[in-house]
Amino acid sequence: MTLRSSFQARIASVLILLLAVVVGALYFSVQTATNAAVRSQAGEQLEIGTRVFEQLLDVRGRQLHDAVQVLAADFGFKAAVASGDTATIGSALANHGARINAGVVMLLGLDDRLQVSTDSRITEQTVARLSAQVRQRQREGVQVFLMPIADKLYLLVEATVSAPLPIARVMMGFQVDQTFAHELRELTHLELTLVASQNNLPAIWVSTLPAPNQQQLQQDMSAGPPTRSGMLRLGEQSYLGRQLVLASGEGFQVQALLHKSLTQAQQAFAPLYEDILLIALAALLASLGGALLLARNVSQPVRLLARVAERVGQGDYQVPLELKRSDELGRLATAFNAMQQGIAERERQLAHNALHDPLTGLPNRTLALERLGSAITAERPMAVLYLGVGNLRAVNENCGPGGGDLALQQLSRRLQATLRPGDSLARLVADEFLLLLENTNSDSAVATADKLHQLLIKPLRIGTVDVALDCRIGIVAYPADGLTPDDLLRRASIVMQDAAKLPGRVQVYQQGRDAAQQRQISLIRDLPRAPAQGELLLHYQPKLDIRGGTVRQAEALLRWQHPQLGMVSPGEFIPLAERTGSIQLLTSWVIEEVLRQLREWNGRGLKVQVSLNISTEDLLDSELPARVEHLLNQYQVPAAQLIFEITESGVMLNPQVALQVLHSLRDCGISLSVDDFGTGYSSLAQLKRMPVQELKIDQSFIRDLDDASEDAVIVRSTIEMSHSLGLKVVAEGVEYERSLRLLERWQCDTAQGYLISRPLAAKAFEAWLAQPLTSAVSLVH
Amino acid sequence: MTKHFLYPLRTLLFGCMCAASPTLWAANLQAELVDTQGQPLANAVVTLRGPLGAEAERSNALMDQQAKQFVPNVLVVRTGTLVPFPNSDNIRHHVYSFSPAKRFELRLYQGTPSEPVLFDKPGVVVLGCNIHDWMIGYVYVTDDPWFAVSDEAGKISLDQLPAGRYAVSLWHPQIPEMLPQTGAELVLGEPGAQQRFTLAMQAPSNVAPATAPPSAFADAFRKATRDSAQ
Repeated sequence: MTLRSSFQARIASVLILLLAVVVGALYFSVQTATNAAVRSQAGEQLEIGTRVFEQLLDVRGRQLHDAVQVLAADFGFKAAVASGDTATIGSALANHGARINAGVVMLLGLDDRLQVSTDSRITEQTVARLSAQVRQRQREGVQVFLMPIADKLYLLVEATVSAPLPIARVMMGFQVDQTFAHELRELTHLELTLVASQNNLPAIWVSTLPAPNQQQLQQDMSAGPPTRSGMLRLGEQSYLGRQLVLASGEGFQVQALLHKSLTQAQQAFAPLYEDILLIALAALLASLGGALLLARNVSQPVRLLARVAERVGQGDYQVPLELKRSDELGRLATAFNAMQQGIAERERQLAHNALHDPLTGLPNRTLALERLGSAITAERPMAVLYLGVGNLRAVNENCGPGGGDLALQQLSRRLQATLRPGDSLARLVADEFLLLLENTNSDSAVATADKLHQLLIKPLRIGTVDVALDCRIGIVAYPADGLTPDDLLRRASIVMQDAAKLPGRVQVYQQGRDAAQQRQISLIRDLPRAPAQGELLLHYQPKLDIRGGTVRQAEALLRWQHPQLGMVSPGEFIPLAERTGSIQLLTSWVIEEVLRQLREWNGRGLKVQVSLNISTEDLLDSELPARVEHLLNQYQVPAAQLIFEITESGVMLNPQVALQVLHSLRDCGISLSVDDFGTGYSSLAQLKRMPVQELKIDQSFIRDLDDASEDAVIVRSTIEMSHSLGLKVVAEGVEYERSLRLLERWQCDTAQGYLISRPLAAKAFEAWLAQPLTSAVSLVH
Repeated sequence: MTKHFLYPLRTLLFGCMCAASPTLWAANLQAELVDTQGQPLANAVVTLRGPLGAEAERSNALMDQQAKQFVPNVLVVRTGTLVPFPNSDNIRHHVYSFSPAKRFELRLYQGTPSEPVLFDKPGVVVLGCNIHDWMIGYVYVTDDPWFAVSDEAGKISLDQLPAGRYAVSLWHPQIPEMLPQTGAELVLGEPGAQQRFTLAMQAPSNVAPATAPPSAFADAFRKATRDSAQ
């Protein structure tokens, strides 16, 4: 796992790196310190050693000097020297020299001439040179002299033989050899090398250094002067050195080289370095272990957390995280558990919200469809009750904002109270509810719906206001009325709308209702495009002037040739157009088409007065008169050739505007006619206020008109009344000859109906006019 | 070396013998001895070889040792004189001489040794004590009949000298090569003659110091150390 490898490795490597840095720094600082200590210690030792060396040489010199003095004062020795006998003197010199281990003993006269010597190799010349040098050194105040003689180095001490006045000088030489050097080394702890260089002779070396080092030193010395720092590397060892000139004179020089081995001193610290290395190793191992342990300690809970997080990601919130720790990870785990619970809770909430209506707490459309779907899947028969509230807007207006909501809440409570187990209630949209009644067919559903309706008709109390809701219920049954939730719901909705028109407010779905709805929808959809598509046409129904027996008038009737549905009747699409606001579009088209037709006919000398229907919406359009006038001018048609038929209810809707429009139209010269007279509730008083010239008695009064019927009274009195008001009267729906006869008798002005002619296309109407009137019509005369 | 300074002495003695002649005992000599710087010289020896025939009386000589010193420091005797070496100190002395004029050795003794020492050859006999190195005395053995040793003020006085001509020899322990200074002539006759003799002394540097400086080598070594350190 990458977490493990990276996290653990990172902690471990950081720790180890840190440790390595610390140990390294420690090691180097210790090394630096010890090196410095070794250097300074060695320097100090060299300093002390040098001083000890100096003291030793001094003491030794003094000892020798004293010894020689004592020897020279020996009476026997003096006697021997004073004897003047060379052999005697020689033996005395040898004897007394041997007493103090002198290597060589010489007796010199006061005139510096050699008298006797224990070493035959010492010549007069050597002595002369030595004597001169000794004199020289003596003048410098030195009493002990380091001098090379032949191939050996001697410490020379001179003493005067007094008997009792000075009679001779005795000079004793003590060989400075390896033993002496080692003795000094024992005391000073320094490596001592004495080098006596002489003219024309190889240098004399006395050294305590190991032979190879000594040789290297010789080579180094011959190569050049030693370095200033005093550091010297000989073989494996490094030394701190000092060089002293102990004695120098004409043709010779004695140097002392004192060396302190740094390597030896450093070796004293070797155990320390080993210890540091050991400690570092141990610490390294311990920290590695510790890091791994720590990382494991951290990474294991982290992995656990990661696993739980993955599970949460997959939507499983039920497994609690078992991590009992008091540290940050423990807190994280606690937070994790809380988060898990929070997420679970919010998800429940979200799910509930997604499937429920926030206002009423009822299931929403989604859940309703789901339940419906599951019932369908299980093929459980059920009834779907689609409940709509018709007057929710009115409730809102009466009870103020929120009133509607309160009403809906109360409604939902009432509905819920009626539910049987297994039934369910849902709110689909604002004022629509759905009830699913399990194992219920249409018939029992109607009973339930009736009971519901009775229950719901009781007023609700909203605040201080009592409100009665206008509820309608549409009923569909599964599986009888549909097999998919969508179908069922759509059909129930349609049925509910149908129910609105029924007094009982409950309607059951009937086969085919759905198709009508579909046809209506496509008509509504296509209607606005119909004028532009040229699908509309006008038919003209002749209107007979009963008294004159002539036809000089016609009613223009709109026809719609739908591309798929064929000819659509005005009774079907006009209400739709009125409901959907397309009617004005149609009216405009009709007016223009009529004017165009009239101009055409006028051009051919055919004078016809055409009436056309103006809808309620048109009457509320105050622009209409101006538009019409403009068109009249455009088509050069006299206004008198136009009659606008209006309905009573159209004027009633907004009398003020409608009257204004009517007066304006009338001012243009257009005649106005009241259509469908007798079906509405208009009063005569109102009629009087309208600038109309004509009444059209609704065909329902005319169709079955005979002498004895109630209609006859109404028609006759209407005609009389109209005439008394100065209005002409048109009778529609004249289908029978006897009807025409009665109308004639009652002095009705104009008749229209199938008896005269059905509505005709423009060409056919023209042709029909050219023919003589049929006998039935002409019978009037 | 001993031979060298022996030879002139002999010549001197020979010369003195030849010049000797009898004279009247009438004159005396008052003289002062100074060094070349004019400083009075104590322990300076003046010997006179007078007119032939005139012979001085033999006097008794004695070399005492008092307070670890030879007293007198310089003793002049005529050749053939027996000199006793009494020891006035309460310690013993070991008096010796390796001088060619007289080699002898008086082993550790106290009081007066049984035998006086006969100085039978003219010359300088340097006396030493084997126990006390600083004890140095001189016995100047001469053939001349008249002699004197200067006092602390460098003065001598000789009485009853026959008038006449004298050869004068001068000596002092610090005289170069220990050889007497000769050649001066002196005519004595008139009374109250005041003489002044000048002696050249040996340079003191020629004498080796009695003891070595305590740390001469150390000084030299230190000097070397310092030099190398610089």
